Amino acid sequence: MTAPALEVKDLIKTFGGLRAVDAVSFEIVEGSLSALIGPNGSGKTTLFNLVTNLYRADAGEVRLFGQEMVGAGDWRIAAAGVVRTFQTARAFPGMTALENVMAGAHRHVGTPTWRQMLWLAGAREEERALARQAEALLDLVGLAEFRDTAATDLPMGAQKLLEVVRALMARPRLLLLDEPAAGLNDGETAELALLLRAVRDSGVTLLVVEHNMSLVMGVADEVIVLDAGAVIARGRPAEIQRDPRVIEAYIGQAGGPH
Amino acid sequence: MSAGTQAAIQIVIGGLLQGSLFALVALGFALVFRMTGVINLSQGAFCVLGALLCWSLEETLHLPAPLAIPGSVLAALLLGLAIGRAVFVPALSRLPNSSMLMLTAGLLTFIQGLMLVHWGGDPYALRPLSGEAPVQVLGVRVPSQGFWIAATAVIVIAGFWYLFARTTLGKALQASAENPTAARLMGIDVERMAVMSFGLAATTGALGGIMVAPILAVQFDTSQFFTISGFISVAIGGMGSFVGAVVGGLVLGVAEQLAAGYISGLFSSGLALGLLLLTLLFRPSGLFAIGRARRSDVREELHIHPAIVRLRGRGAAALGVAALAVILVLPLIVRDPGLMGSLVITGILFIGVLGLDVLMGFAGQVSLGQGGFMAIGGYVAAILATNYGWPPLAGVAIGCAASLVCALLLSLATMRLRGHYLALATLAFGLVVDSLDVGMMATTGGPSGLVGIPSFSVGGLSFDTDRSMYYLVVAIIVVLVLALLGGMRGSFGRALMAIRADRLAAGALGINVARLKMAAFAISAVLASLAGSLYAFYFHYLSPEMVGTQRSFEMITMLVIGGEGTLVGPLLGVALLTLLPTLVQSLALYKILAEGLLLVLAFSFLPEGVFGGFARLAARLRAPAVTAGLEPRSEAP
Repeated sequence: MTAPALEVKDLIKTFGGLRAVDAVSFEIVEGSLSALIGPNGSGKTTLFNLVTNLYRADAGEVRLFGQEMVGAGDWRIAAAGVVRTFQTARAFPGMTALENVMAGAHRHVGTPTWRQMLWLAGAREEERALARQAEALLDLVGLAEFRDTAATDLPMGAQKLLEVVRALMARPRLLLLDEPAAGLNDGETAELALLLRAVRDSGVTLLVVEHNMSLVMGVADEVIVLDAGAVIARGRPAEIQRDPRVIEAYIGQAGGPH
Repeated sequence: MSAGTQAAIQIVIGGLLQGSLFALVALGFALVFRMTGVINLSQGAFCVLGALLCWSLEETLHLPAPLAIPGSVLAALLLGLAIGRAVFVPALSRLPNSSMLMLTAGLLTFIQGLMLVHWGGDPYALRPLSGEAPVQVLGVRVPSQGFWIAATAVIVIAGFWYLFARTTLGKALQASAENPTAARLMGIDVERMAVMSFGLAATTGALGGIMVAPILAVQFDTSQFFTISGFISVAIGGMGSFVGAVVGGLVLGVAEQLAAGYISGLFSSGLALGLLLLTLLFRPSGLFAIGRARRSDVREELHIHPAIVRLRGRGAAALGVAALAVILVLPLIVRDPGLMGSLVITGILFIGVLGLDVLMGFAGQVSLGQGGFMAIGGYVAAILATNYGWPPLAGVAIGCAASLVCALLLSLATMRLRGHYLALATLAFGLVVDSLDVGMMATTGGPSGLVGIPSFSVGGLSFDTDRSMYYLVVAIIVVLVLALLGGMRGSFGRALMAIRADRLAAGALGINVARLKMAAFAISAVLASLAGSLYAFYFHYLSPEMVGTQRSFEMITMLVIGGEGTLVGPLLGVALLTLLPTLVQSLALYKILAEGLLLVLAFSFLPEGVFGGFARLAARLRAPAVTAGLEPRSEAP
């Protein structure tokens, strides 16, 4: 049996007196598209930050494809095939949309820098191939015409999509998306749903933190619900929607699932 | 009491006095850093300015000290407020942090230039406040002025405490520092608070300068010494902590005096750098860290980033070839030997600035020690060739290797740290190299310089005329520019730009941030070293101030004026600042002033530089509506 893409065991993280993540355990099967939902402040982003080593856990284990990576730097996590995006759009300012996406492929560039400096034919050919790939991805999310636009001049929704395809350029095995639909309009959200399914179908495992319930219910194979730092439910979208604990967690808070 | 004990007491008291001075300067640093998050390198200039103003009031207007001191402090306060209001605070919302650091370097240069123009390059000493006669303390003689320094430090510290603990203004300052957004919502004018802090810092610095001037004669460029000592004090004590600033200042003062007393004066500045590096390594937040926890998954810098300048395709290539053609025929047209010499110097300095562009323009790191690497390259190559008869090329190679090692060590020590510790470590490094150049008389010739350096030669080919040197430098530049263009347009350059833009997001994509930053720093150091070697071989002479900290600042100015991140753009900046003083000889005195002013103006009005300005203009003429249909992004709050 192959190891799960992500295995979290008894993970604990406290900030001051607050248990932001309280003995959370779950695993994500390779090839699945899972969603992590929960009310604001339930610890979703903290969990992401723990998995990618931005925070150090107080206790517990994280295994990525069976490997423990305690204390490994961010680029090592990426080298293991685990790539994340951030809650706020983080397109690289000072670079065009195309350059942003091409930067995502950095860890796959085989040509050493000195060969790029000598303008050798192989290096230039690899650059062209990268540019074609990046253009194809931009085209996929409808941003092809903005390839030479400064990335930060794009509308917020476009920047979020750009960040997703930039992460795809890194050819992840496990892709962690932090609220990819935040700031997207309905059309863009629909496009994102198609993209997420296509990515899953190409064999990439996805874990998505998301507030947009219709997106989650539409695309996720499995939903994990966090409340106050603990997993209160997990299962298929249809089961989750009926789960009384989930309903209580949301209704108990202001608002509820939208 | 034994003579040994007495000497030790003497040293410690001397250290505490020096430490009181550092504490005063450091308090200014801590205040501005706390309010704005910026390390204000111009702090030291206000110390010297205060002292020089006081001298003028006493000696030319014959005012007594009780009038002259408040007068000069008030003048420093007003100038601080004016600069804060007109330049510093408006830039806070427009420039990324690395540029803010350089802006304050520009202010430092500007004020130094002003002082050079008005007071000249001579050292000035004030009259001691209570006579020349020393006072006996614990059996050792202490200059009476020392008590004035210590008393001033105590009063200023008490004043700071009172301001922050007891007054509404202090509370407003505190609130603006802790949470500017919330403070703004509560009706506090956060910008005004930042201006106030800048003015207060200037006042503190001026007081320190005035009090120390009777013991330590000051001249315009003593500013750098004050700036670096104050900065190292706050770094040891903990950035932004007032207690830390005072403790850090005292620790540094005593440590320097101990080193000077027991080892050698030469090592006291090396010790300061060592203390700084040790602190950065083992306690990066300093002894008294003020804990302001920041979320690491949220982007820290919300400032606007420089516009994208890309000239690509056939047009750019044609332009490059045309420019090269002009450069190649230039020596045939230029008849004036002085101008020809300046052209060679332009080329040599451009090599160093090219390296700086890779580091600053692409990777977004600041180096304030480019002159230090030039010095290593220059002195190593020159000494090997002059004293040991090595072939110049071997000297150049050894110089580059030495610079590379220093660069790797410096970046290893500072790499893990956020903020601009690398930049400040480079500043300290440059100053240490400076003091070594001056101090190691036997090998470097000391302040009067190293003479009799041979011309550069390879095999039997000697580059002993302006024209041959010119073509050699041009050839090197063409090779370097092509190589760097190739690297920068590929994955290496993209990764560096990604790091400049957002190091966390870059790391999440698998970009090895630490390694690439180190590579960029290594490239910049080696190119500076190469430039330094060529400089020495061309002049047949090398003195410390040719490759000192002023040179480092000048190279930054050249880069920013020319256009960061464009590789070829900085040539315009180098040419402007090198050729203008040659063409208009009477400008020489105003050179430093002009450099500071140009840097400040460039940041204020043309952040993408002259080249960037041209490129933007060209792009607008070619395609007037590139971004049609797109709303410009509203600026993040």
